[in-house]
Amino acid sequence: MQATSTNTETEPSAGGLGRERLAGIVLVGFGGLGLWAGSDLPFMTSEGVGSGLMPRLLSIVILGLGVLQLVLSRKDPGPSTGRWAIRETIPVILGVILFAVTVRGYHLGPVTIPGLGLSIACPLAVVASGLAARDARLGELLVFAAVLTAFCIGLFRYALGLSVPVAPWLLGY
Amino acid sequence: MLDVFINLGLGMTVAFTLQNIALCFLGCLIGTLVGVLPGVGPVATIAILLPVTLSLDPTGSLIMLAGIYYGAQYGGSTTAILVNIPGEATAVVTAIDGHKMAQKGQAGLALGLAAIGSFFAGTVATIVIAALGVPMTRMGLLFGPTEYFSLMIMGLVFAVVLAHGSLLKAVSMILVGVLLSCVGADMETGRERMTFGLEMLQDGIEFVVLAMGIFGFGEIFKNLADPEARDVVRSRIGRLWPTLKELKDNFPAILRGTFLGSVLGVLPGNGAILGPFASYAVEKRISKRPQDFGHGAPAAVAGPESANNAGAQTSFIPLLTLGLPPNAVMALMVGAMMIQGIVPGPQVIERNPELFWGLIASMWIGNLMLVIINLPLIGLWVKLLRVPYRLLFPAIVCFCCIGLYSIANDAAQVMMAALFGIIGYALYKLEFEPAPLALGFVLGRLLEEKLRQSLIISGGSPLTFLQSPLSAILLAIAAMALVIAISPSMRRNRDEVFKEA
Repeated sequence: MQATSTNTETEPSAGGLGRERLAGIVLVGFGGLGLWAGSDLPFMTSEGVGSGLMPRLLSIVILGLGVLQLVLSRKDPGPSTGRWAIRETIPVILGVILFAVTVRGYHLGPVTIPGLGLSIACPLAVVASGLAARDARLGELLVFAAVLTAFCIGLFRYALGLSVPVAPWLLGY
Repeated sequence: MLDVFINLGLGMTVAFTLQNIALCFLGCLIGTLVGVLPGVGPVATIAILLPVTLSLDPTGSLIMLAGIYYGAQYGGSTTAILVNIPGEATAVVTAIDGHKMAQKGQAGLALGLAAIGSFFAGTVATIVIAALGVPMTRMGLLFGPTEYFSLMIMGLVFAVVLAHGSLLKAVSMILVGVLLSCVGADMETGRERMTFGLEMLQDGIEFVVLAMGIFGFGEIFKNLADPEARDVVRSRIGRLWPTLKELKDNFPAILRGTFLGSVLGVLPGNGAILGPFASYAVEKRISKRPQDFGHGAPAAVAGPESANNAGAQTSFIPLLTLGLPPNAVMALMVGAMMIQGIVPGPQVIERNPELFWGLIASMWIGNLMLVIINLPLIGLWVKLLRVPYRLLFPAIVCFCCIGLYSIANDAAQVMMAALFGIIGYALYKLEFEPAPLALGFVLGRLLEEKLRQSLIISGGSPLTFLQSPLSAILLAIAAMALVIAISPSMRRNRDEVFKEA
């Protein structure tokens, strides 16, 4: 922990927007998004508070705080946020999505994925996400995925009784 | 005073059934396991196990989930001492001196003191909960929607004051959390709000999805981006039981830590997290040898560990007596109670006395179990800590996916959590704290409900919050806390408390 925080602090703030300024921009953006998303909701009705009061009030305050943050960080926009771990993030996201689309099947336009159950979804998630580590070893990961899948099926389906499909293509459930 | 023990006696008869003891043991064991492994938190674990508790009776399921929570607090300190990575946020303080002691070959002493301190704190906290249960509930029954609204505002203000770093960012995070809780069907009119026409947002965002995304996946992205050097102690653990003299030297620290932790834990807005920091600061200030702090002072482990455990337990008080969850784990407990058809609030003690007192009594049993489980199992935990992260995180991903899917047998929830994971990582990069966001989200719906009810009762006048004396007092306390937090001298002190650790 300490090593990382000093790392980001020693990095020069030149280049990039600076952490504090970026934080302000994100807040302004989020407040704006909230205002837009809730723009169709009634603010007040004859019976009292409408469903739009809270969302709109909150969005406006968030937007205001974002502006304040931008003003406060004008002099010192903060250090750069450093490297964003895109290379490490993508395999994990991919693993999660693979799990989601295969566990019970998925339809999106012309693409149809059959329900493959935990027996396929688990190893896919483990191997895909496992590749995100810098020191990943494929062979080790494959063996680990097999063991973990067996463990998960035993634990969640049989011991804990969750209704997760196991292998519809083989067992029928 | 006698009532307290009669009630605890009732609780003991509930907690001492074979099934409940087994569930308590299971909870403590799972909790310690997730606490020991860095990167798997109690939030994710309880979320995964939430669907499983459906098949248990309400008391049993809450006893197990509570066991996971305080077991994780306990396991976190084991990791802090042995590896210098706090397994749990509250074990940050323990890592400083605990790991130094381990390097000096005193790992056993540090673990032993932590265990004894935790057990003592747990015993005291159990009695505190039992003693405060009835009066707090009575107070809760006086609360109408107006007072509840103000109480929640006070809790959220405390959460801001207690968060690290920028106040502005903490306030924003709470508001973002409340705003996110508004997504989905309006509970009064059924009208869809801010769903962008997406089917998966119609019922709103599940708290478990948000929590697993931000705390579970977000944590993984963070660890992959900035790998932490693991420094598992190689030297011998040493004897676990302290000598009588060591115990005598550290007992005052344990006593003070227990007191601080118990008091701070009751605060709405996750005061429990402040306990260990406060205890460390106090011990350092009154120590005869403050120069030892940071280099393996036993009191710097015994005090904060006691505070940690006491706070973890007394943070059940706002949940059980008022129905207000003070942190993310307690929010999941609300979910667990709702699944079982129990609405948290002051009426629980009246309608489900066996659940209320059984849960409290089980905490003491659980604390005893933790000492019994942990000291002999240290060797096993050390082995587990040598499991490399490159294998640990794919397993966490896999568990999270199964847990997310089984909330509603819906793959969309799994993907939404992945999105929240990215948001969680972005928040970390921009130094926004996720804890206030989770708290805002948890209280958001209740907050809006109470606001609307109050305004309907008052005929639309917002002055009602100041006209009710109780509500006015709560809001005044909140305002005072905020003013004190903004004042420059307090800001400096606050930074110091967090920085000293």
